[in-house]
Amino acid sequence: MSTPVSDFDLVSDGSTLDNSPEPPKTGTLTISDEVTRPDGSHQLVLNMGPQHPSTHGVLRVILGLDGEVITDCDPVIGYLHRGVEKIGEQHRYAQVVTWTDRTDYVAAPMNNLGCIMAIEKLCDVTAPERAQYWRVIMSELARIASHLVWLGTHALDIGALSMSLYCFRERELILDMFEIFCGARLTTNMMEIGGFSRPIPELLPSMVRDFCKVFPDRQQEYVDLLDANPIWQARTKGVGIISPEAAVSYALTGACLRGSGVNYDIRKAMPYLVYDRLDFEVPIGVHGDVFDRYLVRMEEMRQTLRIIEQCLDAVENDDRPLMAYESNYVMPPHKGTMTTAEDMQRHFIWVIKGFSPPVGEAYFAVEHPKGENGYYFVSDGTPLPYRWRVRSPDFVNLSVLPHMAQGAMLADVVALIGTIDIVLGSVDR
Amino acid sequence: MSEGNLPQTVETDQTPVATEPVDPWARENYFDPDVERHPAVRVIRETFPGAILDIVRFRDETTIHIRPELLLEICTLLRGHEQVGMDVLTDITAVDMLRLRQAPRFDVVALLYSLRNRVRLRLKAGIDEGQPVPSLVPLWNGANWLERETYDMFGIVFEGHPNLRRILLADDWDEGFPLRKDYPLRGWKEFPVYNTERTVGRVRTRWTGRGV
Repeated sequence: MSTPVSDFDLVSDGSTLDNSPEPPKTGTLTISDEVTRPDGSHQLVLNMGPQHPSTHGVLRVILGLDGEVITDCDPVIGYLHRGVEKIGEQHRYAQVVTWTDRTDYVAAPMNNLGCIMAIEKLCDVTAPERAQYWRVIMSELARIASHLVWLGTHALDIGALSMSLYCFRERELILDMFEIFCGARLTTNMMEIGGFSRPIPELLPSMVRDFCKVFPDRQQEYVDLLDANPIWQARTKGVGIISPEAAVSYALTGACLRGSGVNYDIRKAMPYLVYDRLDFEVPIGVHGDVFDRYLVRMEEMRQTLRIIEQCLDAVENDDRPLMAYESNYVMPPHKGTMTTAEDMQRHFIWVIKGFSPPVGEAYFAVEHPKGENGYYFVSDGTPLPYRWRVRSPDFVNLSVLPHMAQGAMLADVVALIGTIDIVLGSVDR
Repeated sequence: MSEGNLPQTVETDQTPVATEPVDPWARENYFDPDVERHPAVRVIRETFPGAILDIVRFRDETTIHIRPELLLEICTLLRGHEQVGMDVLTDITAVDMLRLRQAPRFDVVALLYSLRNRVRLRLKAGIDEGQPVPSLVPLWNGANWLERETYDMFGIVFEGHPNLRRILLADDWDEGFPLRKDYPLRGWKEFPVYNTERTVGRVRTRWTGRGV
């Protein structure tokens, strides 16, 4: 391997424990010591991004090239860093939740869920059963929406232009449901501490039913377009292989981990909400390449539909309460605020002053479409969180990119970035 | 098949189960109210006596405060242990304890996860400003970026990290470390202020007392 000679200070990732000593095999070419040029001096340094459309945002990758083969890869992130953890320390607990919409903005209800559940764990609040079912429905819809964005852009990067049109067509249906539920399509902020403060719209269950009816056929269209497509197979099979040991060592979660054959899904390992009552399966990959991760995510969408249908069956004709109003940590009902002074004062004081959780700390993670999305709150007994930490799956998963890109072809870099499924708002936070 | 087993289950119900020896490595030990029965605690106490400074249980989560210089050794021990097997490093972060206690200043938080037992464990290493912590990169590659982020935000130096430099902020960021508690929300540098000619004076409206 040649040493980098360039104007850039190209520092390698420097991982000392690489669990797969052999460089990963790419589609046609395997890099080894023989491929290095005899003089070993020429290494082209190529800058990719941050305005490159295939980097899904503002990711910048500095690539060291030996011919068409990548010898060194250095992701540069932070272009979208807003410091939400610092900002969250200046906000009350209920206000912090809105910032989670801005981290991973293609699956905002799932972020809300993780943050809300962490606060509820800290305060020891349990949402009513009906609200738990609806939380599962809304967050699993967000999982499909996120996977559709991933599939559309990932296929677009590799060359299947039409996929993005089909995927965004179905995503519109989901965003319409979010809009009818809470008024927002992207930054939803739809969940409250203790459940939902808004009633479920009458139209919503039928919309979800219609979506569940129409989506399997639409997904079959994607499969018909991609699965047997020789170009798609050539670009994905055998590319970006991650061994199970490397996947665990890099702390990957989500489809990146399960595509490598490691069975870890938080919904099964540590069930939260009502997942222990639902019947669904977790797909596992075999080879750990880009194609397997594609198959895993496609199967996840089918299983998600099963989850949504079971939840709808349980709560469709249900009028139990949606909010755990008996707790002091929950926003008082809005109902009487316009008629009685006491209700108005209670509501006003809660909104203005917030609430003070007990002193302690809590970590809660949900199975985000991208992986394990964890929220860590440290409370010092004041209405503001003393420390708020977002363990975003995208940031941790992206750290495997230098490992995957080592020895890959230049044209595979967009496939590798796409298969990790990153959203730069969540990477940079 | 269930009918055939029915008499046997009735018999086992009558035998006293409390006297039976419980598997010391079973999963319920991790959630036992008695923290000394926690398998990770027992393993650390056995190999490194005196390494545990404090154990906190809150909301079914166990936090072990350990001596910072032993962080790498304890993680190696827990990762390689046959039954405990904390083989995933979920997260590394830090908490600036400036307003909560005198010393030490920071808590470095490592969140471990065991794939076989399906439990989490939080290790905390309290360090003072400028005191190094052993890096976990020799154990887990995933620690690389997480430690870089912790250095970026808190200025905590991880000893043995191959490439400790800023990751989220710019390489030439010269304003310190933003997530420290003594770092102002808008930074140390002066920033342009517009609309300075106020016709009405500002009123302090923040009630929480922490100020901005």
